[in-house]
Amino acid sequence: MRKVIALLLVAFVCLAGVVAGGSGESSGDTYKIGFIGPLTGDNANYGIRCSNAARLAINEINADGGVDGKMLELIAEDSEGTVDKALAAYEKLAYMDEVCAIIGPVFTSPALAVAQRCQEDGIVMISPSATHKDVTAQPATNPDGLNYVFRTVPSDALQSEVAGHYFYEVLGYRKLASLYAMNDYSQGLALGMKETFEALGGQVVAEETCMVGDKDFRTQLTEIRAAAPEAVYIPNYTVEDALILEQAAQLGVNVPFLSSDGFSDPEIYNLAPDFTDGVIYVGPAQAEASSILADFQVAYSEAYNGDSPDSFATNSYDATYILAAAIDRADSADTTAIRNEVAATDDFQGANGTMNFAANGDLVASQGVYEVEGTTPVYVGAFQVVDGHIVQVD
Amino acid sequence: MGTLTLYMQYIVNGLTLGAIYSLIALGYTMVYGILKFINFAHGDILMVGAFIGLIIYNALTGGEAADPSAWTLIAFFISMLISMASCAVLGMVIERIAYKPLRNANRLAPLLSAIGVSFILSNGAAWIFGTQSRRFPYPFENTPIHIGGISITPHQIVMVVVSVAMMLLLTFFVNKTRMGKAMRACSLDQSTSMLMGINVNRVISLTFAIGSALAAVGGMLAAFDFRVYPSMGTMTGLKAFVAAVIGGIGNIQGAMIGGILLGILEAVGAPLLHIPNGMRDTVAFAVLIIVLLVKPDGILGKNEREKV
Amino acid sequence: MLNFFQLILIYAGIYAVMAIGQNCITGYTGMLSLCHAGFFCIGSYATAIICKTFGLSFWISLPVAAIAAGLVGLLIGIPTLRLKGDYLCIATLGLGEIIRNIATNINPVGYNSIPRATLFGYQFASRNKLAFIILIWAFVLVFYILFQQLAHSRLGRAMIAVREDEVAAQSNGINVTKYKISSFVLGAAVGGIAGCLQTAYTLTVQPGSYTFMVSVMVLCTVVLGGMGNAKAVILGAFIIQFISYLPQLTGLTNVIPAQAKQLIYGLLLVVMMLCRPQGILGRDKYRYGDPRTRMEKFRDFFARPKKKAKGGEV
Repeated sequence: MRKVIALLLVAFVCLAGVVAGGSGESSGDTYKIGFIGPLTGDNANYGIRCSNAARLAINEINADGGVDGKMLELIAEDSEGTVDKALAAYEKLAYMDEVCAIIGPVFTSPALAVAQRCQEDGIVMISPSATHKDVTAQPATNPDGLNYVFRTVPSDALQSEVAGHYFYEVLGYRKLASLYAMNDYSQGLALGMKETFEALGGQVVAEETCMVGDKDFRTQLTEIRAAAPEAVYIPNYTVEDALILEQAAQLGVNVPFLSSDGFSDPEIYNLAPDFTDGVIYVGPAQAEASSILADFQVAYSEAYNGDSPDSFATNSYDATYILAAAIDRADSADTTAIRNEVAATDDFQGANGTMNFAANGDLVASQGVYEVEGTTPVYVGAFQVVDGHIVQVD
Repeated sequence: MGTLTLYMQYIVNGLTLGAIYSLIALGYTMVYGILKFINFAHGDILMVGAFIGLIIYNALTGGEAADPSAWTLIAFFISMLISMASCAVLGMVIERIAYKPLRNANRLAPLLSAIGVSFILSNGAAWIFGTQSRRFPYPFENTPIHIGGISITPHQIVMVVVSVAMMLLLTFFVNKTRMGKAMRACSLDQSTSMLMGINVNRVISLTFAIGSALAAVGGMLAAFDFRVYPSMGTMTGLKAFVAAVIGGIGNIQGAMIGGILLGILEAVGAPLLHIPNGMRDTVAFAVLIIVLLVKPDGILGKNEREKV
Repeated sequence: MLNFFQLILIYAGIYAVMAIGQNCITGYTGMLSLCHAGFFCIGSYATAIICKTFGLSFWISLPVAAIAAGLVGLLIGIPTLRLKGDYLCIATLGLGEIIRNIATNINPVGYNSIPRATLFGYQFASRNKLAFIILIWAFVLVFYILFQQLAHSRLGRAMIAVREDEVAAQSNGINVTKYKISSFVLGAAVGGIAGCLQTAYTLTVQPGSYTFMVSVMVLCTVVLGGMGNAKAVILGAFIIQFISYLPQLTGLTNVIPAQAKQLIYGLLLVVMMLCRPQGILGRDKYRYGDPRTRMEKFRDFFARPKKKAKGGEV
């Protein structure tokens, strides 16, 4: 009996492999684009959203006739959020599927590992959400010395600088507390904001940390309550933010909360609908008089059972369109040609407004500020820091 | 705010966290007591329980927007009963398929099979329900109560009350009923129990059923605080297991004490030592290792002397 | 496809080294330890810090990693090894979590752009997998031979005696604590070296990689292969890695969702365990006072286990 089950299982796997292998070979007239992100495990939600958004973009492009008549094909691989799995995914995409570009990885550490390989092998990589400064600082080790790593998310430094200036200059806070998770994203933002804020003359009176995946923030919030700040900066992911807001209300921490682009996930209004009122967050800027974002959100919701995209998914959507446009202009699957066209992206109008890349592949964009009324984020405007002062650009 | 109030607040916070751990640890300890193996899938059964409870609760109250009322409370109890029953069945099925054939194999073999089950459950749930977190709406008014600078919510009180009640109920069941006696016999010596006419298979099935039903209760109560998502059980389950061992694994009161201790350590440890709260796990685990060094069989564990 | 298979060989090799270490602790001496991820982490960080911060050679980091991991193993081993069974398991699990927690709190990003390992002017570049396969499997072979020798030595026999019956071992004049600690330290040191190899390949170190699931998987590798059997744990490492990457190897991931991939993995684990509860190869069967010559041993090494002459089995 056991042997029969085992044999059946092996047979099934082999059969599936043959079927898949067979279907994977008919690829003469498609452009393959790879995606690397956590699709299973604790952080799967971010990876799945990003891959969904990329898939949506590709379906839209294909429905419009593809790129020069050729279809795009997305191959999504799971990184489980770890370096070794991300590298395995990269190996598969780069050498087995021979993709012409990669969207992802979603998290910083896998992105750092994959970025090194992309620079070496000369494959375009556009990360929708790896915010650490080192991601775009990988040396170009390919023979041509060209930079192949880009991202459609602002680096921590850019966002936290705007945040620090906005909190100090526009909102007029002088005493802030921060509660951040020990991961590159949260810590990068919190420390960056602190540096800017304290350089301006403000003070961060309580700096509390937690681990990613923590569910109980009451100790930290109790300490923050005791430090009596004017506002609390919580640059975390959605679920953590939702729990922090709820537990803060339960503990009677009655000060405004400030957050980051992690807050731009509409999910927060399902997770903590009673506690989001008055939160101010810095996120991606929106293009004035453009319906791309709204259209994308509607299309995404329709395609994925009413789920709503977060800002990282939006970045991924933009990344896919930037890539498609670059492939279109390059008119070939040659990775160097695609890289040159991606780098030449000029005022791309995406769901997140006007986008350009700096020479090192970083996103050049203004930052948007939002204020939540009830459960609706209201766009305050786009901001940039010019000569040490914050300036509203539109 | 005085330091005393601050620490009182920490302890209140820790107590609730500890209550969640205890409730889950009870299930762990039951299964371990009899089969002497770590049921790694316990945390995932908890997650399944939370999902089933949430779905039924939402179906009964008609979505997330339902305001707390008598009906939501009843609906909550109905969904909890259904969730407990389904988890009990799930637990028994898992035991029958994945663990029973390995009962006489080497002690670590069921561990691997348990991990396989855990993979199947958590990824199956991710496949069916998606990976986003869901809120479990409170079926009762959850307005915090403030007593002299200390805040406590009704949910926190319910948590503690339920875990103590479950602990007492379980103690009564194990010590006073016939089936409980059979369980104790099986945990001492399975083959002798069999000779005494105890249906060991049934006892083990029942243990899994009770343990899994407890996991469902734990899952649904933790869901208010933790949200419901496919990997919600992994870390919580691990912490609960640690709690069960610290208390003296196989010991019901021990699981309770271990859970509360772990919860309070997590809440108080870092501020007491003035180190960042991100290090709370380090403090908690370090203290637990020290506890084990002082009491090598857990706080309430029996000191079993090895015979030659 | 060949390329990806090479990658599986690399990862399997790294896991095999770890599993050999775990096997020394769990298979030979019978201690249930769940902190190999911690030793792995220490080894990875040792390489990262020595190669990146100090700019020294990868080869220097190997002994440093082994010593650092061994030292941590010793420090934690002395007090905790008197714990039994699952209490030891929890104490070591706690240690693994503490190591990861501290690493995360020091720097959640870890290290990146770590210089590559070089040997006689040859650079081990990640894209040239063949070199890595040779490097890593050379280590596997060395450790295999070492631990095979160990198992048949006085030390190894004492460890096995401790596993079988502590009280009996003690009454036969075996210093139980001494052998438990030496086995733990040895296993830890080997785990550290596996960390070095991993870093040499990935060139990125991230504290989030060293979760307790890694420890559990290493333990599973040992259980799956066959406890106390060095050849079996190497096979186990290969099988675990192979089935975990099988969907990617066959291109199945292009058509099935990622969760299904993990589901198949879980299912295969359960089925394999149900089919071979004692492990794929089972316990190593060997004789005390081996009468075989070195040449015969060499031949038997490649021969199928069945062909071994019958003797007093353990």
